[in-house]
Amino acid sequence: MSLIKKLFGILWSLMGVGIIPLVIMQAMKEIAAKPSEENWIFWSIVIVVLMPIISFSLITFGVFALKGEYDVLA
Amino acid sequence: MAQNVTNVSQTEEISSTRRVIAASSVGTLIEWYDFYIFGTLAKIISEQFFPKDNPTAALLATLATFAAGFVIRPFGALFFGRLGDLIGRKYTFLVTLVIMGGSTFAIGLVPGYKTIGFFAPAIVFILRLLQGLALGGEYGGAATYVAEHSPAGQRGFWTSFIQTTATLGLFLALGVILIVRQTLTVPVFEDWGWRIPFIVSAFLVGVSIFIRLKMSESPMFVKMKKEGKTSANPLAESFKQKDNLKMVLIALLGATAGQGVVWYTGQFYALSFLQNACNIEFEQSNTIILVALVFGTPFFVLFGALSDKIGRKYIMMAGMLIAVLAYRPIYTMMYNDADLKQKTEIVEQTKVSEPKVEVKGTDTVTTIVTNKTYTDGTTYKETVKTTIPLDETKKAELAAAGKLKPEKKKAVILSKDTYYKMIGFVFIQVIFVTMVYGPIAAFLVEIFPTRIRYTSMSLPYHIGNGVFGGLVPLISTRLVEATRPAPGLPPADPLAGLWYPILIASVSFVIGMLYISNKTNNMDVE
Repeated sequence: MSLIKKLFGILWSLMGVGIIPLVIMQAMKEIAAKPSEENWIFWSIVIVVLMPIISFSLITFGVFALKGEYDVLA
Repeated sequence: MAQNVTNVSQTEEISSTRRVIAASSVGTLIEWYDFYIFGTLAKIISEQFFPKDNPTAALLATLATFAAGFVIRPFGALFFGRLGDLIGRKYTFLVTLVIMGGSTFAIGLVPGYKTIGFFAPAIVFILRLLQGLALGGEYGGAATYVAEHSPAGQRGFWTSFIQTTATLGLFLALGVILIVRQTLTVPVFEDWGWRIPFIVSAFLVGVSIFIRLKMSESPMFVKMKKEGKTSANPLAESFKQKDNLKMVLIALLGATAGQGVVWYTGQFYALSFLQNACNIEFEQSNTIILVALVFGTPFFVLFGALSDKIGRKYIMMAGMLIAVLAYRPIYTMMYNDADLKQKTEIVEQTKVSEPKVEVKGTDTVTTIVTNKTYTDGTTYKETVKTTIPLDETKKAELAAAGKLKPEKKKAVILSKDTYYKMIGFVFIQVIFVTMVYGPIAAFLVEIFPTRIRYTSMSLPYHIGNGVFGGLVPLISTRLVEATRPAPGLPPADPLAGLWYPILIASVSFVIGMLYISNKTNNMDVE
């Protein structure tokens, strides 16, 4: 079980890192295709608010899991 | 004799706990009411405070303001959580109540965009931020306060009453709006009557402040303060110390993020889906939600109490998993049941009104109303309004820009059988909500120590609910819009909005199952 938690730790960290270029590229693509106000508002909220929270928490959580910090259940 | 003394003492303890629950819950319920009337009246507020040129932009602007109300919540959690761990729970959540009540009351008094121009949306935006800030401080305080008064082994049960307040707040908001709307008639309500639910808040908050002033401080906090064990810097202790930070992260990713999206999907998204995807008439769609909430609310207490017996984890995780698996089938059935293409129209009963032409200001407004009846008892009313400027130059300009399109309002009134089925579909979703939300206050309270509990539990709760959950309407609307082949055409996948809550709840479920213990109910709150 502890090994599975650590392996998943790698997955969470990779997800946290991977989400950054994915979101930014999607935002650039959609804003370039239609530079409307609503597109700017939407992607600003996603990039400024949602993405940093998801990335930071997944990366940190993944690193903790990989180090075995959650081997004893919370 | 000794037995009698014990019984009297137990009765007094239960009675005291009940008073604490009642006083805390009323205030929290009113804060939720204040917060949700804004979201429920999003469409009217967008018309009143944002430029009308582009209705989608206006709605998105309101949703952004709505999201801002949610996004600011974690900051309120940090600010008031710190205060609550430093000076006490009671006075902190009294302050949040005053801020919330004051901002809500003020929103009801702000003149519209037509009167004061850009100041209107700017003021509303600031007031909405204050609402979010206050709410961020309220919930953690109330949950902590109640948990710290509750006997060990019953925290799930007692804190579940606080958990009912969010849903009851939404219920109260919908109820007040419906009553005011019916009393004043729709045009008056849309003109100025929408302000009444905001203004009513001042009275509700006044009552709640009176009740809360009579409450005593949390016994655990008092004891800790006497012993000089309060935290000097709750923020640093909560988020800079690895042992606490890792609990904050697991609370967020394994519990509150998934719980947040399930909560907003089962209530807010359901309402938005009924109104926008199924075109169900305003009052009928609201009563579907209201009735489902009434029947669903006792389950918060049931699952809260059950979590004291079998643990918090499995109930919350079961709620997330069932929601993930059931959302698409449930919404498919909801959509199909309201889909007029799948019903048989009684053509001879179709009525199309004569065009009604009115001159309103500088425009000519032509209205045509079509009423249709279907064999299953469903009725459909379509109102088409075409607004054409009297000024020929302006008319030609708008025509060239393709802006002379008629505005269509669709209102489906379901037959009784389908109406009850819809209530059933929403009720099932409210059950998912009660499973994930009923035990969560006890879960959060029990994983953090008393000295930093208010701060530590508030942040993951408000990021999970405010950010992950609060963005459900914005992101889901966007996902549906992305499947629309062209403006004016229906979306190819009206259920596409569900992918966001399904994804977040799935990740939360896997993390929760792997990393959360089911034994938190045995932990000592000290």
